[in-house]
Amino acid sequence: MATDVGTRRPSDGAAVNPLRAGLDSNRITDPLNVVFFGASGDLTKRMLMPAMYNLRLNDVLPTNFGIIGFSRSEKSHYDFREEMKEAVDEFSRSGPVKEPLWTDFANRLHYIQGSFDDPEEFKDLKRQLEENDEKLGTAGNRLYYLATPPAVFTKVVQQLAAVGLGPKDQAKGWSRIVVEKPFGTDLDSARALQAEVMKVFDEKQVYRIDHYLGKEPVQDIMALRFANVMFEPIWNRLYVDCVQITAAETVGVEGRGGYYEHAGALRDMIQNHVMNLLALVAMEPPISPNADDVRDEKFKVLSAMRPIAEDQVSRVTARGQYGPGLIEGKPVPGYREEESVDPSSVTETYACVKFLIDNWRWAEVPFYLRSGKRLARKHSEIAVKFRGIPHRIFGEAGDQIETNTLVMKIQPDEGVSLRFNAKVPGPKMHIRGVTMDFNYGTGFGVESAPAYERLIADAMRGDATLFTRWDAVEQAWQAVMPVLNRWSDTRTLDFPNYLAGSQGPQSADALLVADGREWRRI
Amino acid sequence: MSHIESPTDVAAIQEELIKSRRVLGADIESTSASVVTMNFVVFVDDPAHRVWVLVRAQLVAQKHPSRLIVLDSTNASGVEVSSATRENSGATIVNERVHIGVQKLDHASIISLTQELSVPHIQTVLWWSGGRLLQSRTFSGLAQSAATVLVDSSGKVRGEETIRELGEFLSRFPGVVLNDLAFMRLLPWQEMIAQFFDDPALREDLFSIDGLRIESGSDAEALYLAGWLGSRLSWEIAERDAFRDRRGRRIPFEKIDKGDQRRVQSVVLTAGASTYRAALSEADPHVVALSVEGERAKPVRYMPLQNIGNTSLIERAILVSSRDQIFETSLLTVRELLG
Repeated sequence: MATDVGTRRPSDGAAVNPLRAGLDSNRITDPLNVVFFGASGDLTKRMLMPAMYNLRLNDVLPTNFGIIGFSRSEKSHYDFREEMKEAVDEFSRSGPVKEPLWTDFANRLHYIQGSFDDPEEFKDLKRQLEENDEKLGTAGNRLYYLATPPAVFTKVVQQLAAVGLGPKDQAKGWSRIVVEKPFGTDLDSARALQAEVMKVFDEKQVYRIDHYLGKEPVQDIMALRFANVMFEPIWNRLYVDCVQITAAETVGVEGRGGYYEHAGALRDMIQNHVMNLLALVAMEPPISPNADDVRDEKFKVLSAMRPIAEDQVSRVTARGQYGPGLIEGKPVPGYREEESVDPSSVTETYACVKFLIDNWRWAEVPFYLRSGKRLARKHSEIAVKFRGIPHRIFGEAGDQIETNTLVMKIQPDEGVSLRFNAKVPGPKMHIRGVTMDFNYGTGFGVESAPAYERLIADAMRGDATLFTRWDAVEQAWQAVMPVLNRWSDTRTLDFPNYLAGSQGPQSADALLVADGREWRRI
Repeated sequence: MSHIESPTDVAAIQEELIKSRRVLGADIESTSASVVTMNFVVFVDDPAHRVWVLVRAQLVAQKHPSRLIVLDSTNASGVEVSSATRENSGATIVNERVHIGVQKLDHASIISLTQELSVPHIQTVLWWSGGRLLQSRTFSGLAQSAATVLVDSSGKVRGEETIRELGEFLSRFPGVVLNDLAFMRLLPWQEMIAQFFDDPALREDLFSIDGLRIESGSDAEALYLAGWLGSRLSWEIAERDAFRDRRGRRIPFEKIDKGDQRRVQSVVLTAGASTYRAALSEADPHVVALSVEGERAKPVRYMPLQNIGNTSLIERAILVSSRDQIFETSLLTVRELLG
């Protein structure tokens, strides 16, 4: 059985090429095949294949690689290449394909038409992989990418094992599997899926992708916290009053009403993206930036989250659903008028939850998490609000002395902002809150790679730092399950309860007012 | 933008900086903060190259909030002081720029002026685009207080003497990080050559190379590529146009002047009965055709040539805070080759 230690070190012998010593190269050294299950789907066309082509253009893909699309639709290799060319032409950030690079790239694209239930068609896949190993020099290394609906994740994994494509059957090379979110729809289904995956793959071979974690500002959080000494002494319950994490969108369900009806904001955003942000901001300093050291700390902090008793859910959560309103001055329909949405739907498009973390650092510091669609502004941030000064000696009576706030801006603005108080010039001792902003300018000609490019390349390299480990997924599900259970039992009757283009439902404001606080404006 | 006649009136320049920052602050909001990541000192003395340099310096300064000090030894005179803002995703980036005509100033004045105008306690990056290096006392003086020095040994006004001087720079300024754009530009070609030998089946040929031919539009790139190969493979210098491998066999090195300045056209390595060739595609100058002919023949493959823009190279240089051993050993190999 081949092993995969999941590190950045190349395993194809390139490390002993003396010309590679000190070469500042982004190239992935291991030759490999990437298999996209769900190759006819939107994700493959819009994101994955353009990402692969751009990785090629940017000289990141290894010298020897193959790409195999697997899907139900009937088409030839030639049809698949043409379809992918159209997809890259339309969706790639680098614009339409260029020759002779496209032909060189396309010659490495193959297609297998098959049902996810049929072992015979997985045997075709195996034959193609073996042919690629021989003709393209891909050395038995395989990255399987599940770009399928979650319902077929288990089937694909089972079929891979059935035809001897699992890592345990491999004579040479490594196998890894990338799984799109959502990983399960609740705790039980996530555990069932995990059990099936673990029959075939080891945890180190599973890459649960959350494209949010591939964004540059999310990675900046680590730098801010652990490349500076000044924040750590105050990063605790003695100085922090509360933390507010916001992931606000102006878009609605964008044609995904069918999916969203069964998901809702809590499953779609809070359980994964927002919880990941919480983990990054609240975790202890890892001993190194390596994948498992970071993920150990994330797990530890998630496992310290105080369970929410079901009878307390209404006191620590709020939910909402948007009605018609205005976004950027243009009228937009309410959620219930969206395509594929039940006209009497009670699915929440806004969720907020107050969590507490029972550890030495964060005892009794509330973490308020919120996410919603059709809100006033597209806006994601983490705001660390500090406690007030213990004794006031400055300022005229009418001056409001603000509490300090450190804001890590994620999107669309990226950067760090610090709010503090300063004296207004003049004979009187007026105090006023001021903002100190910092961000680097954007690049010149060199764009940051989109999250998918970054994450696919990391999976190819075996760097799992930005992927979610099972223990964190399980903890995140455990944290939200009482809320999901309670919400499914108590169907709210006041939906829709916020206008599209607003700050969200009043019940969310009331949640903080009850604690003597207020939300930062979106 | 404010203009000051006397380039040595430091007090007036400082006052104008404060004023322009205040004006800018009023534009943004009544209370603002500025952030400076470095002093970026740029020296230019070639009128034909001046705009090229200034545009790129400005781009770097816009991304990395800086105090940009331009020492302009072309025809410019006086001092221009400005603070500029650039909107970036809703945030405002503030840059300060002092452009000084230094043609009539002696080296001591230039050095003193630069030191007085630099923001203290932050790193200084010197981008020297001047014609002379160590022979210039201005260069030596400015380099002494810089954390990083950036030069470009490529181009028409440059020659072998520049590379010799850079070799000497390493020993004279051991605490300064030296970067040469000409070497940094070669990364894609180093990558192309390296990947031939990632294949374990071909790697042995790396130790049997018996010929090297490089076509490029200027000397520095060809010399650096040869120096890099030589230093990586422990070659010794046989004579001015030949190396000797670890077993003492002679490896002729042919340097052919072809194509645009600062651009490599092709690299050909021969190893016994096999020839490894990386050459710009005729169809697209951004694509390299890689082929292996002869005993270990492989089909032609096309790879994208990642020609990294000069501005990005400058940025890379300022972000590196430690000396690059690969560059330095390559440089010393070239210096030895040149004799």
